[in-house]
Amino acid sequence: MEEYVGELWHKLVTRVADKQHAEAAVSLDEMSKTAAIFFRALGGDAGLNLSAAPSTRHGARRSWRDRLATTGERIELCWRDGETLRLPEKIDIFTERSLNRDLYLWLVALSAANVDDSLPWIVRNQKATQVTLERFPGLVARYHRLVNTLLPLRPLPTSLPAAEAAQEAAIRQALIQPGSIHVLPPSKKLFQPVLLWTHPSPPMSAKNKVSTSDGAPEREQSEDKNGVKSRKKHAAERTDMPDGKDGFLMMFRAESLFSWTEYINVNRPQDEEDDVESAALAAEDMDTMTIARDGETSVAKLRFDLDLPPAGEDDAPLGEGIPLPEWDYKKQIMQPDYCRLQELVSQQAEPCELPAQLRRTARRLRSQFQALAPTRTWLKRQQDGEEIDLDAWVLQEADLLSGKHSDSRGMYRAQVNQQRDLACLLLADLSLSTDAYASDHARVIDVIRDSLYLFSEALSATGDRFAMYGFSSLKRGNVRFNRLKSFDDRYDGLARGRIQAIKPGYYTRMGAAIRQASALLAAQPQRQRLLLLLTDGKPNDLDRYEGRYGIEDTRMALHEARQLGLRPFCVTIDREANEYLPHLFGAGGFAVIRKPEDLPKELPLLYAQMTR
Amino acid sequence: MENLPFYQSHGSEIELFERAWRNNLPLLIKGPTGCGKTRFVAHMAAKLCLPLHTVACHDDLTAADLVGRHLIVDGQTVWSDGPLTRAVREGGICYLDEVVEARKDTTVVLHPLADDRRILPIDRTGEILAAPPSFMLVVSYNPGYQNFLKGMKPSTRQRFISLAFDFPSATQEVAILIGETGIDEMLAKRLVSIANAFRALKDHDLEEVASTRLLVYAATLIKDGCEPVLACRAALVETLTDDPETAVALREVIDATFGL
Repeated sequence: MEEYVGELWHKLVTRVADKQHAEAAVSLDEMSKTAAIFFRALGGDAGLNLSAAPSTRHGARRSWRDRLATTGERIELCWRDGETLRLPEKIDIFTERSLNRDLYLWLVALSAANVDDSLPWIVRNQKATQVTLERFPGLVARYHRLVNTLLPLRPLPTSLPAAEAAQEAAIRQALIQPGSIHVLPPSKKLFQPVLLWTHPSPPMSAKNKVSTSDGAPEREQSEDKNGVKSRKKHAAERTDMPDGKDGFLMMFRAESLFSWTEYINVNRPQDEEDDVESAALAAEDMDTMTIARDGETSVAKLRFDLDLPPAGEDDAPLGEGIPLPEWDYKKQIMQPDYCRLQELVSQQAEPCELPAQLRRTARRLRSQFQALAPTRTWLKRQQDGEEIDLDAWVLQEADLLSGKHSDSRGMYRAQVNQQRDLACLLLADLSLSTDAYASDHARVIDVIRDSLYLFSEALSATGDRFAMYGFSSLKRGNVRFNRLKSFDDRYDGLARGRIQAIKPGYYTRMGAAIRQASALLAAQPQRQRLLLLLTDGKPNDLDRYEGRYGIEDTRMALHEARQLGLRPFCVTIDREANEYLPHLFGAGGFAVIRKPEDLPKELPLLYAQMTR
Repeated sequence: MENLPFYQSHGSEIELFERAWRNNLPLLIKGPTGCGKTRFVAHMAAKLCLPLHTVACHDDLTAADLVGRHLIVDGQTVWSDGPLTRAVREGGICYLDEVVEARKDTTVVLHPLADDRRILPIDRTGEILAAPPSFMLVVSYNPGYQNFLKGMKPSTRQRFISLAFDFPSATQEVAILIGETGIDEMLAKRLVSIANAFRALKDHDLEEVASTRLLVYAATLIKDGCEPVLACRAALVETLTDDPETAVALREVIDATFGL
């Protein structure tokens, strides 16, 4: 009974306190594509990802209703770092949908403005506002509409104690007249967050680390003792700062420290301390420390290999391994011989036939692909053909008239089917993430296996030259490149057996695999060369190969492939691929298959469309 | 001279063109679509008082289409000059637009014309035409198209001096819009600002970016009394993308510039 009453009470007060307007809410999901393009068009860094911001405790004065209902304590603010632009997951503070949408676009526009990051928060936001409004005068009306609707939602200065009132008045002034406030007046209590501005600095709570979507083993983070110490010291320094100059900034530091400590206490992995190997790993991973935005704090990351297949027993390495370079976007240099790629061939593979359930589809595909009409050309001066070759006839008449000897050349034009002059290399992602279930009854790897089967069936019907490789990686020293069928291998039982033997494992160091595939493909004499990449997620690996680093290296590898005259194309089942694939493959360079189980059927059709 | 086609110079290209013409050097102009290559050639032809023969190259263009062919007239065959031959005879400018689109064997007829021999052998009539000093060969292409099947043969390429064009700087583009259409400066500036925002999306969200030509179209519509936002949607957004979501984002950029 008590519980029931409590629940009712909670419902009642939260409803009273809820300032949000669910019916007018605009979510990041519906805005993400527009927002991303808008951001880039306004001059934002094209390599940035867009994602939802975690909510942060703002610590400002709340209304009695809020305090009663414990709502209004946390808020999602917009902020940006070197890799990501984070926006609120949904905006519903205004009653009108269009205003909520405008707020999204405004935040994006503001984040795209190029303003000196070292400026104090309040000055920086005003400056960014000024820059944006000057460049896009069409936003002026919208900005003022947003400000006018927002101000009544903020506490009135008259209702606050003097110090807070002064602060609030300054913020209001800065909103109404950007550029007019140079210093934020000090106050003990923190002010209401300004929703029209970007967050002062990325909050460094552990929750920011959104787990990667590709299903790779969850990464764990830990911090060595030194790290903790330095953080504390750092916090102490911050508290010593003359109070009030940068009150808002300081608050967020303290806040992030709090959440960090919280995090360590709760989530510290138990087995880490006594595992000698992980200590070594930690030492090795020191170069993967993330440097926080201000460059003063750093966090060492430790991630664990979980559930990996028995190391290398099933695959026989071919040769000593191939050194390959890797691109470091931060330093803007190519690191020569940075990775070592091992070409492998499965030892367990036994020659086999096409799985029974695929035979029908395969038969249909084969007949379709045999009918795939290659391009036609007219051959001139044929002895026999559908049409008269006027040029040849005229020439002969002219020769006759001018008294020249006329050799009896053919005077017909004939249509013939030209040989397809095409080579294709299919590179399949075999990382551990493909172990995830794609549908109720099939894992991603099964879908990829079926796709490989049907793809080979279709291509062997066209007679196009093709090769198939799979790849995975375990740090830079061990990039695994599984040969399923080389250009010279026949598509036979053994090739099918190798396809049957593929299994998920390790990570996705895309750049190295693409470089090796490009080299193999570039050696083919065909005029048109297609590099087809089959994947289920972003590039990532245990060392620093993740996030922007991985994306930029992959982008560079694809750039090199295009330089070699290859045509890269990506087929993915990652639904979030629209966020990063345009950056890698360009607008027309990839296809997202929404339903993974359709991949086996879609892949040959895509190929047919591309090569027609 | 007063009828010169409008052209806003952005460097030393006019001087270079004149030098090339005086010294009998063929010229290759490369640059993205709609950045003023064709206009530049038209302008120079008018400036130098030369007849201009333009050929838009396509992938079925044969050597005969350039040089000429026999036609049958009243049971007789009559030789008819192609644009290239005509330009050589008249001593004018022959401009081959998008030359990489032409079949590779076609461009080989240019070789004797494009080096110091400056002759055009016509196989079919047995005639060998020597180009007069005023004749000039100009070719252009757009390196942006990723058509690796159709690169230019090095042997062809190395017969030309080359001039790279790109979209003009913001101030020059404003001047172009004003010069072409006579819209006021404020509008021109906003149009250019939109174009530059769209250009940042190249290779990422858009395959082709907004050209100066499209901006001129938009400005022409506005000058004619069209609502600016509407003109930009028609001339820029819908021309550049078919993807509805991308179009929404591009419209936002336009709204952000012109206001609601």
